[in-house]
Amino acid sequence: MIEMVLNDLLGKKVRVKCNDDDTIEDLKKLVAAQTGTRVEKIRTQKWYNIYKDHITLKDYEIHGGMSLELYYN
Amino acid sequence: MANRTDPAAKSIRGTNPQNLVEKILRSKIYQHTYWKEQCFGLTAETLVDKAMELDHLGGTYGGNRKPTPFMCLVMKMLQIQPEKDIVVEFIKNEDYKYVRVLGAFYLRLTGTDTDVYQYLEPLYNDYRKLRQKLVDGRFSLTHVDELIDELLTKDYSCDIALPRIKKRWTLESNGTLEPRRSALEDDFEEEEEKEEEDQIMAGLENGSHEKDYYRSRSPGRERDRDRKRDSHRHRDRDYDRDRGRGRDRDRDRDRERDRDRYRIRDEKDYGRDRERERERRRRRSRSRSRSRSRDRKDRGDREGGEHRKRHRSSVSPRRRTDEDGTAREESRKKKEKKEKKDDGTDHPDPEIAEQNRIRASLGLKPLRP
Repeated sequence: MIEMVLNDLLGKKVRVKCNDDDTIEDLKKLVAAQTGTRVEKIRTQKWYNIYKDHITLKDYEIHGGMSLELYYN
Repeated sequence: MANRTDPAAKSIRGTNPQNLVEKILRSKIYQHTYWKEQCFGLTAETLVDKAMELDHLGGTYGGNRKPTPFMCLVMKMLQIQPEKDIVVEFIKNEDYKYVRVLGAFYLRLTGTDTDVYQYLEPLYNDYRKLRQKLVDGRFSLTHVDELIDELLTKDYSCDIALPRIKKRWTLESNGTLEPRRSALEDDFEEEEEKEEEDQIMAGLENGSHEKDYYRSRSPGRERDRDRKRDSHRHRDRDYDRDRGRGRDRDRDRDRERDRDRYRIRDEKDYGRDRERERERRRRRSRSRSRSRSRDRKDRGDREGGEHRKRHRSSVSPRRRTDEDGTAREESRKKKEKKEKKDDGTDHPDPEIAEQNRIRASLGLKPLRP
């Protein structure tokens, strides 16, 4: 179980706990459950790498405690 | 400026019509090359030509969410705001299905509730295939009537949040709309008449043998007939017949689900159900004015409990065929314990339990430590 922080640099900071074999889409669902935005509107990035929905966190080598950038579509 | 709304345009839902599309998506459309090249200086007539060239619909796609030409044309229509006659012409034309869908989408965004139902429902009879671009860039197959169903029942389509329209039954009770007549209604009527005839024939031939079958079907029939006679339940006629195409409106979905569940149980246990059916009919007719949520919850609880009880009682006879009594008990206890822990929602740490509850509601597996 890893814990991640997603920060949209305008004041919204979300902490989610997830498994490392969850996909990015599952992560977005958890974020949507916490913030209230729609799943399709959320975009997770790390500097210009936009993370794709169907790949797991383990494959992206996202470890616990990492903070991702939260943007909107 | 190319992106300003036509100054003669009316405001839709209290705001600039272009604001129906969200800011981020709007900026993306303005920066897109299709918009800049093809949609510059379009009028209603030239827009038709562009619409005829469309070959797919969709919202945004790709990592950076590019809009489709369909989106750009919708935006253009919002900008120039063509007359209602023109939009209706778009919808009525039979030759170009994407023009039709474009008109339907625009009407859904800007039209009044009555107009939306009036003009979009005939499109339910159009079964042609459409190509839809998905978020990851692939194409998928859909049909015109599926899309119309989405427009009328969901609140989000093609990356645009659709404005809220009143439910159909509200408009029907106001009298502004006629109850819905499906195009398949005549076919269903024929089928039902044939069924009834067959039944009567079967009942006459094998009197006692077929009696159970006939009787087990009669509560359903009676209820249907009652429903038909009740004047204030008149609208149910169409929904009863429209079995195949469950329209997603809350009350009707519940009623349909209850009816189906009820019909299956009919075959199992006739006597008990008759009582309950009478009770439910009485309850329903009495408590029509009261809050429906209570009814639904009670019904749901009762039926859920019944189901679970019956399931358990039907499982135990099978279990009794096990040889060893103690082994059976142990295995049962283990299974119950496993059922409890499966969800993870009763984790000792309340935070994790909460997270697991959210995950379960989203359909994800619980957290692994």
